[in-house]
Amino acid sequence: MAVVGGERGKTHVHDLPEAVLSQVLELVRDVRSRNAVALVCRKWRFLERLTRTSLSLRGHIRNPFLLPTCFPSVSHLDLSLLSPWGYHPFHYLPAPTRLDGYLHPDNYNDHHHLLAADQQHLVAQRLGQAFPNVMSLTVYARDPSALQALAPHWPGLRHAKLVRWHQRPQNPLGADVAPLLAACSSLLSLDLSHFYCWTEDLPPALQAYPAAAASLACLDLLSASSAEGFRASELAAIAAACPNLRHLLASCVFNPRYFGFVGDASLQALAAACPRLSLLHLVDPSTLSSARPTHDPADNDLTQDDAAITATGLESLFAALPELEDLAFDLGHNVRDAGPALEALGRKCPRIKSLKLGHLHGVCKAVWLHLDGVSLCGGLETLSVKNCPDLTDAGLATIARGCRRLSRLEIHGCGKVTETGVKKLASMLRSTLVDVRISGCRQLDAAQSLRALEPVRDRIERLHVDCVWVRPELKRSPENMAKAAANLDDLLEFEEQEISDELRDKKCSRHWEEECVDDGDPSKSSDSSSGFWCWIWDRLRFLSVWVPAGEVLSPLVDAGLDCCPELEEICIKVEGDCRTCPKPAQRVFGLSSLSRYPRLAKMKLDCGEAIGYALTAPTGHMDLSLWERFYLHGIGDLNLYELDYWPPQDKEVNQRSLSLPATGLIQECLTLRKLFIHGTTHEHFMRFFLAMPNLRDVQLREDYYPAPENDTSTKMRVDSCSRFEDALNSTLIPD
Amino acid sequence: MGGSNSNWSSGGATGSKLLEMLNVRVVGNADRPALVLSHGVGTDQSAWNRIVPYFQRDYRIVLYDLVCAGSVNPDHFDFRRYVTLDAYVDDLLAILDALRIDRCFFVGHSVSAMIGILAAIRRPDAFLKLILIGASPRFLNDEEYHGGFGEGEIETVLAAMESNYEAWVRGFAPLAVGADVPAAVREFSRTLFNMRPDITLFVSRTVFNSDLRGVLGLVQVPCVIVQTAKDVSVPLSVARYLKDRLGGRTTIEVLHHTEGHLPHLSAPAALVPVIRRSLSR
Repeated sequence: MAVVGGERGKTHVHDLPEAVLSQVLELVRDVRSRNAVALVCRKWRFLERLTRTSLSLRGHIRNPFLLPTCFPSVSHLDLSLLSPWGYHPFHYLPAPTRLDGYLHPDNYNDHHHLLAADQQHLVAQRLGQAFPNVMSLTVYARDPSALQALAPHWPGLRHAKLVRWHQRPQNPLGADVAPLLAACSSLLSLDLSHFYCWTEDLPPALQAYPAAAASLACLDLLSASSAEGFRASELAAIAAACPNLRHLLASCVFNPRYFGFVGDASLQALAAACPRLSLLHLVDPSTLSSARPTHDPADNDLTQDDAAITATGLESLFAALPELEDLAFDLGHNVRDAGPALEALGRKCPRIKSLKLGHLHGVCKAVWLHLDGVSLCGGLETLSVKNCPDLTDAGLATIARGCRRLSRLEIHGCGKVTETGVKKLASMLRSTLVDVRISGCRQLDAAQSLRALEPVRDRIERLHVDCVWVRPELKRSPENMAKAAANLDDLLEFEEQEISDELRDKKCSRHWEEECVDDGDPSKSSDSSSGFWCWIWDRLRFLSVWVPAGEVLSPLVDAGLDCCPELEEICIKVEGDCRTCPKPAQRVFGLSSLSRYPRLAKMKLDCGEAIGYALTAPTGHMDLSLWERFYLHGIGDLNLYELDYWPPQDKEVNQRSLSLPATGLIQECLTLRKLFIHGTTHEHFMRFFLAMPNLRDVQLREDYYPAPENDTSTKMRVDSCSRFEDALNSTLIPD
Repeated sequence: MGGSNSNWSSGGATGSKLLEMLNVRVVGNADRPALVLSHGVGTDQSAWNRIVPYFQRDYRIVLYDLVCAGSVNPDHFDFRRYVTLDAYVDDLLAILDALRIDRCFFVGHSVSAMIGILAAIRRPDAFLKLILIGASPRFLNDEEYHGGFGEGEIETVLAAMESNYEAWVRGFAPLAVGADVPAAVREFSRTLFNMRPDITLFVSRTVFNSDLRGVLGLVQVPCVIVQTAKDVSVPLSVARYLKDRLGGRTTIEVLHHTEGHLPHLSAPAALVPVIRRSLSR
């Protein structure tokens, strides 16, 4: 917030010369604060506009005279959210031909909201004039014409992010990226993580413009919609074209059964071509899909294929990349005995801070008392271990001993990890651990995960648990804690702890009794022997939960998340097949149970991976309107400021759409200011949202692949969106 | 540019304005005969998405939304005009005039089948053939006629819609959905709850009050009645009733392995050959 202090009658902030004031305003980053600054007086508004550096344009591009020209310092410009969403700024139609007095049928379908050919150059030029200092650009590049028009206006562009969720148009290879590389030869970073194109598109484009390729330092190619991944030859071509790469993120073909798979040799070639890599993320394309894989890694240990990458190959890779700081190797196939490779990582890459490993076995064996495997990477701050079936509680304890600076931990699909292991790790890393994600582990349901994090309960800021309910009640008495602590002592002989277990238990039980809060809710009383008490998660700001389809959310509170005074943001992901799961026992999902968190303002409710029937449900099945009613009931009780909602989908008809009860229930959330629906909906239903008094920002973002394109509803919706936005913009806003 | 026998009481939109309002879309081969696809209440023209690709090469396909569809601006729904199905027929004929289509094939689902029948009576020479999917001249049961829906069942549906309407008017969430009603009406009403509550109520009353049994004999155009093996909303007896009463040459095609009221959504692969066969004869 801008400092507005001043003694009464003496100097006032207005007396500051403009140069000083503009320096002060330049430091204000938060968008709402800047908006508040702009409302103070004309001079402040002018200065605020002058110093704003980042801008995301919304609104409709059909009126180029409405482009704001008062932001000359903008260096980061985001054009990907222009309305209508998904139509890049220069989607134009050729002049309608008139045959025999009526419009040619092909052109008839595009209405007057699209730009004519000569207008697009005007708009591009205007954008270039209005924002002369743009260094970083995000644009929805549905086809190359957008970049062809825009890129020449900013030849000094350093960062570019392209977005496309629609299908790739029929163009020669590399045509999408070529205009950008041609015009901006000093490009530093290119982000294609939300851009759908083919893997064969990139190497020819990079090879055609060697100057731009050589200046590239960051290349993000983790496109979630690419089902294949880069082949070894393509990876080599990219590495050869961009020798100065420092950050590379790409999905690769690791399956040894596929032609052109990436193995040890390709990794060596990569390291040889780009020795200065400090961030390397190579993942298997299957890990990028938002749905969880259904197999349980512990069972399929033998049937799952091995990758073509071996531990020795990894060792030589690490030896060749000494500047590595951030590494992700999220594979879909097993790499056996990875322990020695990770020890080599710790030795050869001293700066390593962040590590993500998927399907690597032997990450930390903890057979003897010494540190081994990943625990030898002492500087690690972020560790994510996915699908490692042989990681045990002892392994976790060893990691905690070795990586003393660990602040973020993620465990996914590690079947042997139990509550005691996590608790041990949490207690040893109490001073640094702030972000924990536990998912997909068979022996860690929600209640156990929350109990296991008891040592860091007052420090943790971000948390993810899976909402798997095994037992309806749980015992949380201090006696159980002591028993668990005694078991831990038996497990490990060599202890390096700051506080002894019993002492800590006593402190905690006093903490519980002192903090006993009784809000008169009878459902909260669980254990009569220790009276009423609740767990306080003092610093928890962000919570993420994963819920299988058909499960309810309300037991989460009883499982341990009673009191989270600072919780601001929650992310709920529902996944599964609603067609096969039985009718839920409770009538509602339980969103209203979240109203106990006083500061909850932002919610992401992702039902996009919940599959069901939209209109064609056979007799006896629930259709999606019933499911949406189930999930969204109670959302009006929460004082949400921002909501991102992904409706459940009907895969047969490729429909992700709001139904009547969903619209009505969302409309009840009167404090909502921003609403983003990641799907489609009717105009009839969008009109419901106009009744919400505080709503400022609504957009339908179909950011999943393939975004509906020739779907007639979408085309019509362009007009509907325009009408809706005009209506929304003309409503009076109370504040 | 309206037809010569247009008799709008309060005057609807004409020509190109109507084309825009109802999101008319023409795809396919412009040199071939016209095929008009008309959806049932509660869906919109996207319901035909899985059918269109099969006919794009051989026909000039015309798609449009009924005025009550969820994707049409609700301000265009004139409550005084769309009291009976005649106004919908006016719209259809106006579209044909605006696009200068003299003769066409017509595929109508559910309520659009009723609209097609009425249109064919009014302008027999405009329609080469009518293909009626899930059609019924009257949905309500009568003394001797079994339309599929009993009086009590209709009342439940309308009561659910009325509660939705009440909630909507007062700013609450309209929570009743098509699956809250008795099983016999469930599949049909599922689509009905896909519109704004006041439009839903109005259109449902229109639909359930329509009775075309008396005028079936006036149809001269050949018809094909497409029926699924088990459609709870339209019993097979209704299909036979139609075949007996329709004035033109009529055949029944049954989709044997398909169930449900929306075969173009749930089983397009079974429906396409049937339509193709009907169009070619």
